[in-house]
Amino acid sequence: MSILEGTQGSTDGTAREPAPPVPLLQVSGLSVAYGDTDVVHDVSFSVAEGSALALIGESGSGKSTIARAVLRLLGARRARVDGSIAVQGRELTGLREAEFLPLRGRVLGFVPQDPGSSLNPVRSIGAQALEAAALVPGARRRADREALVRGALERVGLPDPQRIIDSFPHQLSGGQLQRVLIALAILPGPRLLVADEPTSALDVTVQKQILDLLDDLRRELRIGVLLITHDLAIAAARAEEVVVLQDGSVQEAGPTAQVFTAPRSTYTRALQADVPGLNPDRFAGLRAERDERHPLTGDAFPTDAPQVQVSDVSRTFRSRDREVRALDGVSFAIPRGRTHALVGESGSGKSTAARALLGLETVDAGSLTVRGRAVDPTDRRALREVRRHLQIVHQNPFTSLDPRFTVERIVREPLDLYRVGDRAEREERAAWALEAVRLPEALRSRRPGTLSGGQRQRVAIARALALRPDVLVLDEPTSALDVTVQAGILEVLLTLQRDLGLTYLFISHDLGVVRQFADTLTVLRRGEVVEAGTVDRVLSDPREEYTRQLINSIPARRDTTEVPA
Amino acid sequence: MSTAATLPRRAAAPSAAAASARRYAAFAARRTGQALIVVVLAYVLVFLVLAAIPGDPISAQLDSPQAGYTDAEKAQIRSFHGLDRPVLVRLLISLGNAVRGDLGLSLSTSQPVTAVLGAAIPSTLALAVTALVLAVLIAAVLGLLSRLLPEGPLNGFVRALPTVFLSTPNFLIGLVLIQVLAVNLGLFSLVDPDSAGSTLAAALTLAIPVSAQIAQVLITALDDSAGQDYAEVAASRGLPPAQVVLRHLLRPSLLPTVTVVGLVLGEVLGGSLITETIFGRTGVGTVVQKAVAAQDVPVLLVAVVLSAAVFVVVNLVIDLLYPLLDPRLRGTEGTR
Repeated sequence: MSILEGTQGSTDGTAREPAPPVPLLQVSGLSVAYGDTDVVHDVSFSVAEGSALALIGESGSGKSTIARAVLRLLGARRARVDGSIAVQGRELTGLREAEFLPLRGRVLGFVPQDPGSSLNPVRSIGAQALEAAALVPGARRRADREALVRGALERVGLPDPQRIIDSFPHQLSGGQLQRVLIALAILPGPRLLVADEPTSALDVTVQKQILDLLDDLRRELRIGVLLITHDLAIAAARAEEVVVLQDGSVQEAGPTAQVFTAPRSTYTRALQADVPGLNPDRFAGLRAERDERHPLTGDAFPTDAPQVQVSDVSRTFRSRDREVRALDGVSFAIPRGRTHALVGESGSGKSTAARALLGLETVDAGSLTVRGRAVDPTDRRALREVRRHLQIVHQNPFTSLDPRFTVERIVREPLDLYRVGDRAEREERAAWALEAVRLPEALRSRRPGTLSGGQRQRVAIARALALRPDVLVLDEPTSALDVTVQAGILEVLLTLQRDLGLTYLFISHDLGVVRQFADTLTVLRRGEVVEAGTVDRVLSDPREEYTRQLINSIPARRDTTEVPA
Repeated sequence: MSTAATLPRRAAAPSAAAASARRYAAFAARRTGQALIVVVLAYVLVFLVLAAIPGDPISAQLDSPQAGYTDAEKAQIRSFHGLDRPVLVRLLISLGNAVRGDLGLSLSTSQPVTAVLGAAIPSTLALAVTALVLAVLIAAVLGLLSRLLPEGPLNGFVRALPTVFLSTPNFLIGLVLIQVLAVNLGLFSLVDPDSAGSTLAAALTLAIPVSAQIAQVLITALDDSAGQDYAEVAASRGLPPAQVVLRHLLRPSLLPTVTVVGLVLGEVLGGSLITETIFGRTGVGTVVQKAVAAQDVPVLLVAVVLSAAVFVVVNLVIDLLYPLLDPRLRGTEGTR
């Protein structure tokens, strides 16, 4: 702590001004263009010392471009920047590279989006940290630099700095890496931290810890934070002020409480309506209609004749010196026409469970059945029959579609593989599936490369639907998508469930979405079932500490309790 | 993340490092063993292929009417060279002798093969090693310049050079170098092909097209690293651009570059033959050329196995380098 203050003093000596009203960061009339395309248009905002401002927007809104314009990291992309960016009253846009360089790190710190790729994989953390410390004026001797590094690592909540220093990036978890990156960012004592989606690559409980850390640093070190996020809930919980961006222009700006309780622009209202954490009952109507059409015979957690039955399944992965219990006595059942969610963080075993159900993974013990048929990876013929009624929608629509095929061909492919009917019938079925996911007719002869993420995921769902399966495994189907797109996809899935009585196994790490979408859930941790039951019961009355922790990590819960003021 | 979880691991850290070193030693031993097997297999394969070629210089000499040998004399000479035995027996004898360092006699000069090649190897080794070092240096300079020079015509020129180098024929570079360096500038004598100047010129001839291939891979790898998040984050911390290149881009780019160095080695060995001819040097290339013309099987056998062995050794070294260059390849027994 004292070390950090020491370095701050040395940088402040040159930059501190007595005039208090000058904001830390003042952006006015900022426009950024790549060639002829305007990405950011006339954006203005300011960040005061020790406060946080959130730039909110979906992909393509220009929020990351603004962050990079402030940090002057647009570099190689030949961007044209107009308008004014001033830090502590000093205009930055006209500075030459050599004049800007001393501001990097020492005044402007950067916390990147994906900690997994933001440290050099072939160099130790220590080497990279010492390199960062060497840039701090005054840290001349190696011992000073080492002390700086240790102090910063301890400050960000890494209790064993030596182990971190000796590690390579691939040996640490995402949360630890993000702490390291924050430590390196605060080490030279910057006045402003630009955090570009600092938690979107992290598990929810880790996300909360990292955001708490940023809050603490902001208060203690009086650092201003420019927080870039697509997640309204995070902005609502963490920022004093928000700027809502759409297509590079400001839609709305103001104090967080005001923007969230009384949004003035229709875009903010629409955006807010699509945030799962803020709207738990968004799909209640659709689900009620579904329940009417496909009533359950037993109680809410029936055991008789479920569509999917997983009983006491275990699977251990072994390598030379390690054993990982990916699944340890996991059981669940899903009745027809309902959705069961497998919830857990990375490494919880939820994906292994889905792979086992699809027959892509053998299990050590236990049984899996789909519509009464056993899933047995060794019996290819039986597996083919099971899979006909069991399809999957993958997480990443950008890699799960063959780029050389047209949309129509992609959706028809499973029908071709199973030799369903004649060609005319297959085309008819493919058209029906594309109709069901509401993909515009004009897009059917296109290839995936020209489609947006949401459109691609609709194609992936249509492909899964083409064989008219009874059960769909949805493996984080919306986690790569913006909230408005996510809401559209969830609505399509629930409509299909209402109309066709489909049964879903929904893999997710996002309890906000689970609350909107699923009927029952199993919380997994390190391969074990922590808690299971109906979504309503588990979320309103969690019996396990870990579940409570997960629920507390839904950022919007803080918002709903804190913001209406 | 919790203290309870990290403390035991900390205590285990030194033994983890030792275990990692043990794994590396085991990996190195296994790779070396595999390399030896490859060399032996190469010997067997080359021996069988050469044995399958119809005719040999001895038979050709013996059978020609001018030689005037009697059948008994012919049989005696054949038996002296072991040619009357079955192929597999000859293979085993030859292998056994080779292990003991006896590589046989040249058929055309009757000198020991070790002497024939031994006389040629130093010259070729000097040429090939100098060429490889030059090629790596040229490639490194081009690669670094491609990242250090600001975008513009000069940078574009540097990036175009490898393509130019690749498309210029080897012999043309050699002739131009001789003309300019030896004839016009008189930097080295054409009479003594083994002088340092001549060797350097020959090596440069050989190195230029080879450097182009290395440079292309290096430039691509550097550009790829430059687009990675860690490069941007390092720049955001205030690391000057040149240091970002040297500290952050170069090392991740070494892996593919080292791989391609192993691959272009064939070019260096093959190119040395042409280069030796242009510069009038006597080296392995010239020996091989003569041996092919004279169907000198024992010399050919050793020359081919020798090049195979060089390949195997260089690629063994590269394999052993991988885990040192990239820590991610260290932990899990290095199964690459």
